[in-house]
Amino acid sequence: MSQFRAKRLDLGGFINARVVRDHTKRKVYEQYEPERQALRYIIRNTTLPQRARAQAQLQLSQMHAYTRPTQIKNRCVAGGIARSVIRDFRIARYQFRQQALAGELPGVKKASW
Amino acid sequence: MQIPRHRILDLVKAQCRIFSQNFNPERLRLGNKILRQRLRGPALAAWYPRKTVSFRDLQDTYRPLGLTMFDEAEDDREEAIQIAKSRGKGRPKKKRTAAESRTAKKKK
Repeated sequence: MSQFRAKRLDLGGFINARVVRDHTKRKVYEQYEPERQALRYIIRNTTLPQRARAQAQLQLSQMHAYTRPTQIKNRCVAGGIARSVIRDFRIARYQFRQQALAGELPGVKKASW
Repeated sequence: MQIPRHRILDLVKAQCRIFSQNFNPERLRLGNKILRQRLRGPALAAWYPRKTVSFRDLQDTYRPLGLTMFDEAEDDREEAIQIAKSRGKGRPKKKRTAAESRTAKKKK
C-alpha cells in the first residue's frame, strides 16, 4: 500500500512495480516483526488469562496485510520474475542460465559427464 | 538403582539455569518457542540490492564547490527538446489553474 512505500526509492538493480511492492512488504514486515512476535507469544501462552489471549488474537488479525511474512515472495533480482527463483543466487532460472554461461557466477559450471 | 524424581528435577533445574532455558516440569505451553525464535526481518529486507552512488549524486556533491560535469544523456535530452520546440512539437504549457485547464478542453 502506498502509505508504506518509501518516498524515495532505495533500490538499485532491476526495478519494476512488483519488485517495489515486494520490497515495501519486506521493510514493513521488518518494522513490525517484534510486535507480531509479542502478540504471538501472548496467544501461545496458556497461562495468561483467556481474555488477554483472545484480544491478542484479534489484534494480530487486525494488523495490516503488509506486516505479514506470508505476503513476501522471493523475486529475481535481475529480472523481477517470481517463478523458479534460485534462492542461493536470488536469480530466476533463465537469468541464472545466462549469467552462468557467461561466467558471471563464481563456481557455477555446466555439468558434463 | 532407581533415582528419585526430585533429584532429576534438581538436575534439570540446574541445567536450565546454566544454559538460561525455561524450567517447565509440568510441560505447560508457555509460548517460549516464540521468544526463542530469531528475528527474520533484517535477513528478508536485505533481499534486493540497495541503491549505490549514482552519477547524479556525484554531480550534487560537487555542485557546491563550483564543479560541473558533462552528462551525455542529459545533454542529448536537452538537445532533443530544443529540436522539438523549434519544430513546434514541444510539450504544451503547464495549466496552473482550474480555469485554464477548462478552456483548454473546450477548444477541442
